[in-house]
Amino acid sequence: MIRSDIRRAFLLALRRRDRWEQEVEDEIKLHLALRAEALAAAGASADHAYAEAVRRFGPLDESRARLLDAARHREQHMQRTEWLADARQDLSFALRTLGRRKAWTSITILTLALGIGATTAVFSAVSSLLLHPLPYPNAGRIVLVDKQTTRANNTGIDVSISVGSKELLAWREQAHSFEALEPYATSTMSLETAGEPTELTAALVTPTFAAFAGQRPLVGRNFTPADLRAHDHAALLGESLWRTSYGADPAIVGKPLHLDDSIYTIIGVMPASLRIPSIVHREADVWLPIDLAGDTSNSGGYSVVGRLRTGISAATATRELDALLRRVPLPDMNPNMFHTRVQTPQALVPFRSSLILLMGAVGLVLLVACANVAHLVLAMSASRDREMAIRAALGAGRRRLIRQVVTESLALASLGVAAGVFLGWAGLKLIVALRPSALSELSAASLDSNALALAVVLGVASGIVFGLIGAFRNARRSPNDSLKSAATSASHSRRHEHARALLVISEMAMSAMLLVGATLLVRSVIHLEHVDLGFDPHGLYTLKVDLPHSRYADSIAVGVYERQLADRVRTIPGVRAAAATAVIPGEWYFRIGGLQVQGEAPPPTGTTQLIHFSPVSPSYFKTMGIGLREGRVFEDTSATSDQVVVNAGFARAHWPAGHAVGHRIRIVYNGKGAWMTITGVVADVATMGPMTQASDPMLYGPMPPARPSALVRTQTKMLARMQAANGSVGQLRAAALSIDPRVRVTIDPVERLMAESISEPRFVMLLLTSFTVLALILASVGLYGVMSYTVAQRTREIGIRIALGASGGRIARAVVGRAVALALAGAAAGLIGAVWATRLIESSLNSVSRTDPASFAIGATLLVAAAVAASVVPMRRAVSVDPVTAIRAD
Amino acid sequence: MVRSAASPAPALPVLKGTLDLLVLRALSWAPMHGFEIVSWLERAANGSLDLDDSALYQAVYRLEERGLLAAEWGVTENNRRARYYKLTTAGRTHLRAETRNWMQYASTVTAILTAGKDAVPAAGT
Repeated sequence: MIRSDIRRAFLLALRRRDRWEQEVEDEIKLHLALRAEALAAAGASADHAYAEAVRRFGPLDESRARLLDAARHREQHMQRTEWLADARQDLSFALRTLGRRKAWTSITILTLALGIGATTAVFSAVSSLLLHPLPYPNAGRIVLVDKQTTRANNTGIDVSISVGSKELLAWREQAHSFEALEPYATSTMSLETAGEPTELTAALVTPTFAAFAGQRPLVGRNFTPADLRAHDHAALLGESLWRTSYGADPAIVGKPLHLDDSIYTIIGVMPASLRIPSIVHREADVWLPIDLAGDTSNSGGYSVVGRLRTGISAATATRELDALLRRVPLPDMNPNMFHTRVQTPQALVPFRSSLILLMGAVGLVLLVACANVAHLVLAMSASRDREMAIRAALGAGRRRLIRQVVTESLALASLGVAAGVFLGWAGLKLIVALRPSALSELSAASLDSNALALAVVLGVASGIVFGLIGAFRNARRSPNDSLKSAATSASHSRRHEHARALLVISEMAMSAMLLVGATLLVRSVIHLEHVDLGFDPHGLYTLKVDLPHSRYADSIAVGVYERQLADRVRTIPGVRAAAATAVIPGEWYFRIGGLQVQGEAPPPTGTTQLIHFSPVSPSYFKTMGIGLREGRVFEDTSATSDQVVVNAGFARAHWPAGHAVGHRIRIVYNGKGAWMTITGVVADVATMGPMTQASDPMLYGPMPPARPSALVRTQTKMLARMQAANGSVGQLRAAALSIDPRVRVTIDPVERLMAESISEPRFVMLLLTSFTVLALILASVGLYGVMSYTVAQRTREIGIRIALGASGGRIARAVVGRAVALALAGAAAGLIGAVWATRLIESSLNSVSRTDPASFAIGATLLVAAAVAASVVPMRRAVSVDPVTAIRAD
Repeated sequence: MVRSAASPAPALPVLKGTLDLLVLRALSWAPMHGFEIVSWLERAANGSLDLDDSALYQAVYRLEERGLLAAEWGVTENNRRARYYKLTTAGRTHLRAETRNWMQYASTVTAILTAGKDAVPAAGT
């Protein structure tokens, strides 16, 4: 019954209800009296007349109840009608008022819209990445499991060591912390249809994965252990592929599927909602089974997702897996070299800390916008003292005036929200367009209703709350005071001014924090863009050819292809140099173990450092343009070659005096490792991009030649340096296809790969800079408002000063000085805040310290410059005050 | 005017919905309070109406809610405070339209009831 209570309280003032009830009683009483009188006049006795009057009226109690009911109904209806009429009147009045103050209205709406728009866009983008758990039952207990090297990772790059099939089988049997552990992997395969091969994504899972994910096939059946034993190439289609390429054929089961030159049998269709753990929302085209038990090599590198048992923490699970790793050592693996890592699925999101940072930054923008709306509204209510006083004097009740203010705020807010939603939508589109490739699945982001709601509530609330503060302040004072000259209310508006100055200072402080952060990032990115990589990426191309296992099952076939490819690429006109390599720029290759220099003590047992070791062909150095500093490039590229080339950084670290050539080194893993002789020292290059140190130790060994016993390469990589960029890219592809038209070829300019390697800091920098600009504009608008108001309030004072001989310059200095003082107060608070807040972006900074004084100085300078700019118009107005008019006014 | 004995005509049963129309008609002359409306209706009907007086107030409240009547407090000839009702513009329009409808309806019904076997209309409408 609360609702009817509320409704009544809203529609009917208590006083009025009393009145209409009384009125009904009075009306009945009068009626009975008049009827009785009429009857008496016609000759009836007094008693009889009254009884007859009552009889004609109808059963009294019942009738009264009915009439009261009808009257209540009528009152409610009329109240409602009246309320609506008032609201309509308020609204049209509000719109007229807003229309009269076009500048103020547009600034307020724009402020709201920018705040709401920026916040929703960023929160939508980030929440689509961070807040959505993996789509499995009991999402809270889902974890990702991988391995890490025991020694501190010395590369600065997150290295996840995948899990082998034997380890996983042991975990599945013996680990009690998990309800389930599921391996998964993806693979790009070629689907042969009538036309040319198309590339598709295959997901490899065990037969239990679908149940783990709470899904079942739409058509047909899931894999069974029998499928694995029979090795009969069973495959399930993904729903999208089934719908698009097979017209959702219900009789698909049993049909063949040509994948990478093998024929699979389709046994069913998996729903689109079945996903492997990935932030990439793309579904798999084909599902293939993993045969854990049949994989005897333990080489299968699987990613692992698990579901913890209720009440088991990730830490407990990690301890148990680590213990298992030690207790059940696998052959050829030193268990002390690795430890397991159990983490939440959010770990899948790249740039996580940067995204959280951006949310914080945009939160600051929203706060600046709210502060701005607050003091725009305060300013407005102050300038309306007289209007309100006149309306109060003309008989408008306090309730009515407050209602007017609220209506106006709501009208303003609705316009702001509408514009904000539009800006949010456009902003999200922009973020999606700017996204780095690692955040590709941002493209699925849509406006987040929670974020929108939060921004709308904050913006609207700040408008209404501060509107009401102004209104109450007006209402408290008698109209008489307000109607008196402005001079008497000076002290009162001074207090008001303090409040607004505080709001502006806090806006300035928040802007200063953002300015420092953005400057740091801009400086860092500028630095990254000008880092000398040690080689020239211009005109350099990578060529990757995927060789289907079915036709390139042995290393001899692969070797033949690779030799032919190298020959053909070299003969392309415009190719200045080309090299086969196992590692191309942007990728990295490492060996695990401890490094030992001959003659020195071996590294402690169990050392698992990640040692950069790039297997390349001798022409790699020439193609990359890496200069030889000492000695020569290795010549022996046979399987038994013991030659190695080191970079200058490595040589300097071990032989500061030079003469590294001839020394012997080895990488010790599990107590073993063959000795290698250094034949040459080459220049430092940052092949992983500007964020890595070129001087980090690096070893180059000859590419192991294709030989029957070695693991079969499935991808051939080459580097080619072209005479002119873009010149012969098509010929590169043609060369690869001329040997075998059914292989998949990928060609990338190294310049782009290098640019992509700094896409995260660049993306964060771009967004943070735009928020900073936004915040600075908003804060400047706020400052402009305060300064204009101050000048308007003091027109008389300024007029007197000018009359007394103050120069225009002096007046101008006073105005600008006040603005700068406000900015400096804000800057002081903001810079102190920045000292703490820049901690958050420290990891995104390269070669710039987070307390970089230059960035702090630039931030403060920009803030003061914005303050000066914001005070120019008020300053002009102050200088041009005409003393005669100013003093005569009022 | 005691209904049982003295009335020259039998009490008129008020059809559902027509009471509103009668009230509007009563008020078309001048603003009246509740008892004046009842009295006018009884006079006009040349007898009493076959309904409780309270029903009239209900009708009045309903019409007020619909915006066809407006009420204000006034003073009777005998100096009593009474709630006076008057037609609003909307009420006057409504009365005109409903009167026309009613007349048409009544004459049609009359025509049917007085028609001969071959259904020649007794009179034009």
